[in-house]
Amino acid sequence: MRTTLAILILVLASAPLCAKEELVTLPQRDSVQLTIYNSADLTLVRERRTLSFKAGDNRLQFSWANTLIDPTSVDFQAVGEAARAALDVADTSYPAESHEMLIWTIRAKSAGSHVVEISYFTSGISWGAEYTGMVNTSEDVMHLTGFVTVTNNSGEDYEDASVRLVVGTIHMVERIVDLAQPKSREKIPPTEAPDMDELRKMERQFPAEKGAGGGAGGMVRRKDIEKGTLSEYYIYAVEGQETIPTGWSKRLQSFSIAGVPLKTVYRLEPAKFGPSFTKVLEFKNDEEHKLGKEPLPDGLIRLYRDQGQGRLGFMGALASKYIPKKEEVKINVGPDAECTLAIKRISLKKKDLGFRNNWLVGWTMVEEFEMEVKNFRSRAVDIEIHRTMQGDFDFESAEKFEIHDATTRKVVFTLDANASRKLRYTVTTRQGENARK
Amino acid sequence: MNKRLLLTLAFAAGVGSMIGILNPNPVEARIKLATLPDREAVVVRFDNPNVVMVEEERTISLQKGVNNVDFSWAGTNIDKGSIIFRPADPAAKVEILSTSYPPGEAALTWQIAATEPASIKFRLSYLMANIQRETDYRMLVSKDEQTCTFKHYFKIRNWSGGRFATADFVTRDGKKFEKGLENGEAKRVMVNSWDKVKLTKEYVYDITRNYEGKVMTDYVLKNAKDIGLGAIPLEYGKVRIYQDDGNGTTAFTGEDWGRFTPIGDDMRLNIGIAQDIKIEMKKMTNDVQNRRGNVYDTDEVDEYEIKNFKDNESVVTLVLRVDGEWEMKNDSANFESFERIDNETIKFKVKAPAKGTPIKLKFHYQRKNVW
Amino acid sequence: MHCWIKDKGLIMTKSYWLLPALLMFATLAPSLAAKEELVTLPKRDTVQLTIYNSVDLTLVRETRSLTFKKGNNRLQFSWAGTLIDPTSVDFKPVNNAEKLDVLDTSYPAESNQMLIWTIAADNDVSAMVEISYFTSGISWSAEYHGMLATDDSSMTLTAYVTVQNNSGEEYEDAKVRLVVGSINLVEEIAGLAGGQRAARMEEAYGKMRNAAKSADASDRKKDIVKEGLSEYYIYSVGGTETIPNNWAKRLESFVQVGVPVKSVYTWDAPKYGAQLCRILTFKNDEAHKLGKEPLPSGVVRFYRDAGGNRLGYVGAIATGYIAKNDEVKVNAGVDPEVTIKMTRTSLKKENLSFAFNGRNQYLQGWDTYETFKLEMTNFRDRAVDFEINLALNGDFDFESELASTKIDFRTQRYVLKLDKGAKQEVVYKVRTRFGTNAKK
Repeated sequence: MRTTLAILILVLASAPLCAKEELVTLPQRDSVQLTIYNSADLTLVRERRTLSFKAGDNRLQFSWANTLIDPTSVDFQAVGEAARAALDVADTSYPAESHEMLIWTIRAKSAGSHVVEISYFTSGISWGAEYTGMVNTSEDVMHLTGFVTVTNNSGEDYEDASVRLVVGTIHMVERIVDLAQPKSREKIPPTEAPDMDELRKMERQFPAEKGAGGGAGGMVRRKDIEKGTLSEYYIYAVEGQETIPTGWSKRLQSFSIAGVPLKTVYRLEPAKFGPSFTKVLEFKNDEEHKLGKEPLPDGLIRLYRDQGQGRLGFMGALASKYIPKKEEVKINVGPDAECTLAIKRISLKKKDLGFRNNWLVGWTMVEEFEMEVKNFRSRAVDIEIHRTMQGDFDFESAEKFEIHDATTRKVVFTLDANASRKLRYTVTTRQGENARK
Repeated sequence: MNKRLLLTLAFAAGVGSMIGILNPNPVEARIKLATLPDREAVVVRFDNPNVVMVEEERTISLQKGVNNVDFSWAGTNIDKGSIIFRPADPAAKVEILSTSYPPGEAALTWQIAATEPASIKFRLSYLMANIQRETDYRMLVSKDEQTCTFKHYFKIRNWSGGRFATADFVTRDGKKFEKGLENGEAKRVMVNSWDKVKLTKEYVYDITRNYEGKVMTDYVLKNAKDIGLGAIPLEYGKVRIYQDDGNGTTAFTGEDWGRFTPIGDDMRLNIGIAQDIKIEMKKMTNDVQNRRGNVYDTDEVDEYEIKNFKDNESVVTLVLRVDGEWEMKNDSANFESFERIDNETIKFKVKAPAKGTPIKLKFHYQRKNVW
Repeated sequence: MHCWIKDKGLIMTKSYWLLPALLMFATLAPSLAAKEELVTLPKRDTVQLTIYNSVDLTLVRETRSLTFKKGNNRLQFSWAGTLIDPTSVDFKPVNNAEKLDVLDTSYPAESNQMLIWTIAADNDVSAMVEISYFTSGISWSAEYHGMLATDDSSMTLTAYVTVQNNSGEEYEDAKVRLVVGSINLVEEIAGLAGGQRAARMEEAYGKMRNAAKSADASDRKKDIVKEGLSEYYIYSVGGTETIPNNWAKRLESFVQVGVPVKSVYTWDAPKYGAQLCRILTFKNDEAHKLGKEPLPSGVVRFYRDAGGNRLGYVGAIATGYIAKNDEVKVNAGVDPEVTIKMTRTSLKKENLSFAFNGRNQYLQGWDTYETFKLEMTNFRDRAVDFEINLALNGDFDFESELASTKIDFRTQRYVLKLDKGAKQEVVYKVRTRFGTNAKK
């Protein structure tokens, strides 16, 4: 499958009318850089090659059969002042006989070798984040390790590529994978989608990667992943080069931070965590939690608990959304039978019945509720309970309920080990014509 | 990947505990691991209620420099993202550089860097599908129904495709037992047995539990130290109840699902119908009052006649329900002792005299603002 | 290691009818290449069947004498072709229990109708072991015959229990115990026994119907000992029974002569329809020479002594469980010699109230005043008791010359006695409020 991408220089051997082209095989690419997006199926490939040009028009053929390259995105650029001055792209031709090929006519002022950069978008290369949280026995500290996994299904092998990963949602007007399909090509004018250029320019501002990882003390180090910002996005640059043959994926550690403080809160918050009273592990992507240097891309967080002697037990997994810096992370590990909540309506009364023409038109319901939280665990737990009402209501309680929003009241407290607590509240709802809203 | 080679290795590894195939290249060592028998200190954990985690140890001979270690799990279902690979000794001078996944194969390759040649023990954890677990209990109740022996069983069935020559199986409450488990095989092991556990017997009349108006017999076990339990939270599972018949053998007296019972909570088990207690309800008054347009109140009297045909007096718990807004009138029987569980439900206990002597209970209530 | 597979045919022939089968493996060497020796086991020493009637469930308990070798012993139990619930199979040493320890129970992948116990013995030891399991397909039921005296004042009550075996297995010389009561079962044993079950039961029930017809009485009567256990009663049949597959066997549970019976001519439309029925009543108590045990649910058939050792059939009823001291009521049907007639003798409408709908006036409320007459006649040559229940509807007032009892908010009851050949009339008035006149 290797090198389905081919670059050929066509040497014109005789007169243009009965043109016979001689094929010159090109040297391997000097370097290749992959900038992989995770929000869209998009990778920007930038490869450099040193080519020999003769004076006059040089025809440079680029073909991409069996790959997922967007033909509209293929770009040719000379690298360096001298090359830019010497070379000029006269035209780009898309031959009728093949949908998977283009030919640049490069006008060289004089014969000579120059470094050129060919860039294009491809689909089929993706990356994703994954996290492993090792939680200590008392569930208050976590060792968080972030991984990035790059998967190459593009049909092209990339050897010794420098890899950069873009975190963030970019705007795309068309899908690269559709653009790569020859069938749909007729409909698409052979020009770049408008913001691609922008993207390319923007992305160029980001500093190139550092040199390959050196062996400190003879040891081959794990590669660093350098994080930086770019406009609304973050770029993770993987140190050194990676080889990812097509069909393969490769996972690299992005960071590993021990001692992240972790909080356990039992929550009833139907808007966020569904209808059940659930156990939520919480931390913040900030310095206080030894994090906060970068946002955390969306990905699966798997939590394991220390069972002693380095043994692990699986707690649960949760698909997390993109977590900006300073943002709170709440991982719902599901209901815990060892800390339970029961809510019951202990009384119902109707009052202020209003009649018109001997028919009921308005009334007010007074409902008293009691919730009981039981903690069967041998340690104190934090509780947060939200209650959402409907219609024109009054909420009364002797307990410390706070206003969360117009329709929601919440109560936050700590419950001791093996303790239980009952909280009462009354909801008065005006119905029919009694309602003022 | 050469599968034949892997199998050969797996066989060889069954004899020695260490595996390592050295590549002629002194820097690039290539080592292959397979899920099949060559593993040490295998632990199968059931901490998570839905997923099973397997943890094992592998001793790998590493060369100085970068070593490629292959791990494959063909035929078994492992969540590859869940694989955690780490040296057993966190201070070991090795570093895992990357993990590569080849196309279309249940396999991966780790790049491991070592500062010097060494045999390193690694720990490998992963989530494995198709290992089922089931908890069940056997309760042997004494003739006088005051105490019981409560036995806790754990059953594992292995459909994972792999076999465990020997492994430590660890239940959610930390109980460990060592067994071998073939693919397709199931094993049931008694993990706990508690003797002289005190139990409470209750007769419950609750129309929402039995629409035919039958009285149910419940055993209530408190998962607490003072009654002989309370060591672990009790998992959900079927409880089969046997009773000593006083003639040297036992009889099966019923079964029920025991819900997950944390320490300090009650497990209530219905064993069957209390056929010697009969309750009959008659509505003695059903009047409409206070009519206002389409809204009215009602005055209702329900009479419950309880007959206990047993030779001894029995206490029956009645759970009665009325919907909507209502209040109980104080000429009701047991007005002083009833407990209003929630708006709709009241509960009270009644002593029913022996040998069928009937007692009648008046339940007088007013429904309000019905329309 | 897998030698039992190979030898399975052999085992099956040795115990061709005796399913399930028990085998023991003695591990010869503790090495990895363990070779197992197959030991054929003796027949079961005793079998006890505890049969339930509320659910399709039988607890089988069998004992055998086994010899264990020091170390781990593997004991195989297989039940192909039976209706055994695999989750219920249990092993328990009856003696030398302290020397034996069940390490685990393994359900091999190759067969879903087999299990293997690993039993550790701390020495070579012989022990009596008990193996118990649930099976389905064996059931029992109760039946009663009541021979009424000519004057219907007493009867001879005979109770029977019938055991039906459709389990696919023959039980020889089994001790039989019957459990009276409704135990709670959260899953059907039949379902747990496996897939082939439904079809088998279908077939078995067909055979059972035929077998039940040919149910024979035993040549010698056996005692049935009744004992209470928790909420249930256990009937233990004396001696042992052999019940081949698809056979039913009926045993006499008790005979009691001179049980007093009361006849009450009852009018109760919701219960018995709009006719006067003769209800035979007796109590399961000492006053009725019964009350030693509850009567399990079953069919009660009544016959009357027609003189000259001939019987007349009175009626039959399926009764529910009758607790000790509880009352039994059996509907013996209509008796043409005791009659009741109801007539409405007057009807008036009063208190009419009207409303206007635009210019049209319409009726919105009224009361009806009705008078009814009940005429009862006893053509029999002895006094009879009557119980008349009147169920009324709506918002009514009830007025009667003869005292009546309020049974519930809508039911009034007369209780009276008529001498032989006597006649009685009862008159009652009902006022019913309709429409807006109604309070209810």
